[in-house]
Amino acid sequence: MFILTKIADLVQIPPSQFEQHSRVAIENNINAKFSNRVIQKIGLCICMYDLLWASEGLIGHGDGLVNVNGTIAALLPVRTEFFEEITVSYKELPENTEYDHNEHAWVWVVDDERMHYDKNEMVRFQVIDETWNDQLPESGEQEAVERAKSISPYSIKGTMIREGLGVCLWWD
Amino acid sequence: MRILEAQNAVLTNVEVYTFLSNQAQQYQSQKRRGPSNLETLRGEMLEYFETFPGPLSQKPLPYDVNSIPVLLKRLRPYKITKGECIMVVNMRPTSSAALNAVIEDMGGRFSEEKQDEIINIIIEVLGEFPPPPPAEEGDDDAMETTEDGL
Repeated sequence: MFILTKIADLVQIPPSQFEQHSRVAIENNINAKFSNRVIQKIGLCICMYDLLWASEGLIGHGDGLVNVNGTIAALLPVRTEFFEEITVSYKELPENTEYDHNEHAWVWVVDDERMHYDKNEMVRFQVIDETWNDQLPESGEQEAVERAKSISPYSIKGTMIREGLGVCLWWD
Repeated sequence: MRILEAQNAVLTNVEVYTFLSNQAQQYQSQKRRGPSNLETLRGEMLEYFETFPGPLSQKPLPYDVNSIPVLLKRLRPYKITKGECIMVVNMRPTSSAALNAVIEDMGGRFSEEKQDEIINIIIEVLGEFPPPPPAEEGDDDAMETTEDGL
């Protein structure tokens, strides 16, 4: 699922980008900052959808950066597959599902028929929970910073227990 | 950065797909490249949308963003919630099993006839995949042998 979120932010345009139209420069800067990044409690940002408002550019002393205050609408999906932090607990698989140790795969047994959840099989799932982790380190120490980075900022828990969910091939 | 409105609107897959494909075309015609994080993500998103059995993988695509209001109007008598409608547009369920995955308590709310009516409306407005070419008998046998052999 995708949502539009209204965000206000300060955009800094370096002198090297002055030749571009300001609309293009603002869009590129916004996308460079937000695209493919997670905003806490919002989701993974796709890109700028629309520029709603922008102020006149003001050039600050020293750095020559143009500071533009803008309001943008960003595009965010809540449910994706190019996003990897999705897990489905075995408790969320249909009844009579067992793990086959020989084949290293979960198997759903229906009327003696063994249906496999094969690796890389296309599946449908329903989102039941999402977890947000702020990647702010506990301290400035290298170890704490590394540890904070290793935690995924956003992960999704899914279920495949309902009819119509699970491996797409079973239902189509 | 300030979040002014966390959820200003909800978009369906076909709207996002159209937006991103237009953006890709526009950038190409203007000989312009977005930041690499955007280019990577856009490529992955378009690939995700165009993967079978996602309805957007069907070529030519039998529906577009203008089909959404038509579908909503046709489904209004069935009192399907807004959220469910979004999932119907995204998944285009054309069987009762698939419909069950996006409609809460489907058995309690709709009789089998009603379910068929809903599915027929979805097929009329959003289309469906053409049936796969009939498999020859020889193929079936070959499949079974391979599965037994595993």
